[in-house]
Amino acid sequence: MNANKHDKVRHLRPEELEALAMPGGRKLPARSSAHAVECARCLKEAEELRALHSLLQALAPLQPMVGFSDRVMRRVRLPVSWRVRVLETIRAHWVSTTAALAGVVATVGVGFTFIARYPELTPMTVAAFIVERSTALLWGAVMDVGRLVYGTGIVQTAEGIAGQLTLLTAFVAVATVTLVGMASLRIMLSLMDLPTGSRPASAG
Amino acid sequence: MSYQERSDQDLVRLCLRSDERAARELVERFQRPVFSLVYRMVRDRELAEDLTQEVFVRTFNNLSRYDRSYKFSSWLFKIAYNLTVDHLRKKQVKTISMHGSPDAVTPERQEATSLTLESREESPAALVEGRELAGYLEDAIAELRPEYRTAILLRHVEGRAYEEISDIMGVPLGTVKTYIFRARRELRDLLEDLRDEDDVT
Repeated sequence: MNANKHDKVRHLRPEELEALAMPGGRKLPARSSAHAVECARCLKEAEELRALHSLLQALAPLQPMVGFSDRVMRRVRLPVSWRVRVLETIRAHWVSTTAALAGVVATVGVGFTFIARYPELTPMTVAAFIVERSTALLWGAVMDVGRLVYGTGIVQTAEGIAGQLTLLTAFVAVATVTLVGMASLRIMLSLMDLPTGSRPASAG
Repeated sequence: MSYQERSDQDLVRLCLRSDERAARELVERFQRPVFSLVYRMVRDRELAEDLTQEVFVRTFNNLSRYDRSYKFSSWLFKIAYNLTVDHLRKKQVKTISMHGSPDAVTPERQEATSLTLESREESPAALVEGRELAGYLEDAIAELRPEYRTAILLRHVEGRAYEEISDIMGVPLGTVKTYIFRARRELRDLLEDLRDEDDVT
């Protein structure tokens, strides 16, 4: 009867056997520990595993020949940091780097000299001058592009299409503006915590 | 703090700043476990040295691609495993012996490629017995399939967790468990067979 009862008992799983056989393994649950004590089959398996583990653990440590690290280090290319990369680039292209550096120094020097010679030039006037010139340049470019586009006839074609869709376009525009307006009003009212059309007047 | 006291991750960080001493420390720290694994896979000292060297060179040359959330040693073992398995596939090495490379045809070549095992025993009898046992075991390991061999060595010799072995070998956790279970069973059978053969001779 005892044997029959024992047959129904679950034997230890491989990881539980490992926990029992290998030192430093995880702790076995109480039920598994109790089973391990009385089950000859599990005990035998754990004992065999323990023996195999000890054998493998006792395998002699192997070592490469003397000078191995030197041989490795001779072939290794370590990642290079950006500072070292910059220095190496400068070293490799010192002529062009020096020329570029001289150009920057000359530009800054000329700029400072110019400003020093004309004391009425403040940073604000210089900035205004730059903005004015940039705007003029940009505007000129836009005008040039416009002239080019008009010359190709794209604008006329677009005007023709728009002429055909005037009614529909006007309706869509009015509808969109109305919807956006209503939505904005609703959001504003909810933010101000004021009653809206859907909220009962007595609420609050 | 000396380089020996630094963690693997610290040394990797220094390597990324081109610190050669940090790289050397990592090589010295891991050369034995990596060489042991590679040697037990290929069973040829010269070849194992070349492959181990290649493992470290590839590791450092690709260090900028290393994901630091991953254990450095696992990454190193992964490279070692892939490189060795690639080599075994190319060469189709089947059986191996601890007494030298299977390709060694002359006694000199066998001597050159074999490895002398150290024993921790002291008395001559125990030394002989220990060497014999180690020899049986090395031969038995050599008989295993490369995947079984790697899995059991990583588990029992290197003490790696199942999840780590799964990462290193690039196979699911369940497969690793199966490999280790079968490797143990085969190893036990092989050890018994080898002992029986020796008793007969």
